[in-house]
Amino acid sequence: MDINVRKRLQVQVIQLRGPLRLGDAVDGLRNTIEEAVGNGDTRIVINLAEVPMIDSSGIGLLVRYLASLKQRGGNLKLVQPSKFTVQTLRLLGVLNLFEVFGDDDAAVESFA
Amino acid sequence: MPAEFPSSSKNVPSSQLLNLNIPANSEAIATAVDTISETLGQLNIPEQKRLEIGLAIQEALANAVVHGCKNDPSKHVRCQLESDPLGRILIIVTDPGPGFNANLLSDPTAREKLYGDHGRGVYLIRQLMDEVHFERNGNQIRMWKY
Repeated sequence: MDINVRKRLQVQVIQLRGPLRLGDAVDGLRNTIEEAVGNGDTRIVINLAEVPMIDSSGIGLLVRYLASLKQRGGNLKLVQPSKFTVQTLRLLGVLNLFEVFGDDDAAVESFA
Repeated sequence: MPAEFPSSSKNVPSSQLLNLNIPANSEAIATAVDTISETLGQLNIPEQKRLEIGLAIQEALANAVVHGCKNDPSKHVRCQLESDPLGRILIIVTDPGPGFNANLLSDPTAREKLYGDHGRGVYLIRQLMDEVHFERNGNQIRMWKY
């Protein structure tokens, strides 16, 4: 999985490319979020436009950090999840836990 | 919703498409899932169905590696892909572990479980596939997609 990170208006925008599943992909995203949190960043946007699927380990990671970031006054918001990712999140009853946006700018500006 | 024990598919002969012996590590799982998805694509299985089957296999293999093999890379998981004359797809995943009772798993969509970081795999498989059977004390899963 490719992971690119940029910072805009005090928000970490993480762009993923490839399946988010058990192994290097989930470990890489966990490390990326941990690094952001370690730097004091608790506002995170994850762009899923190029993520064809997320497995249960990836979803577990997202909801875990959603909860911990919210506890620290931040949030974790999603951008452009695929139709299948939306279906998966809905099947597991967690879709409504997340704020979902159509593009990075809208997600970033929602923190203002 | 998937049916647990329907009679329709149990006695229909199927032909084997793939028989994989997968080392118990996450990268080997990813390679196997990609190989199976490619094979399903060659059979002109629609994309939505391929995605659902691929994710179900990902979850079944992950359970087999993490729980059945305890992440021991010297162990292996068998994954068989078959199709029957009606075009239905059967996946059988077998691990060398002691098995488990799938009926004892809790519901990950319960309010108090929503923020948990694990425990969703089997539930997801049951949602994505049309038939799901746990056999051999639970160390073998047989799942059908119609």
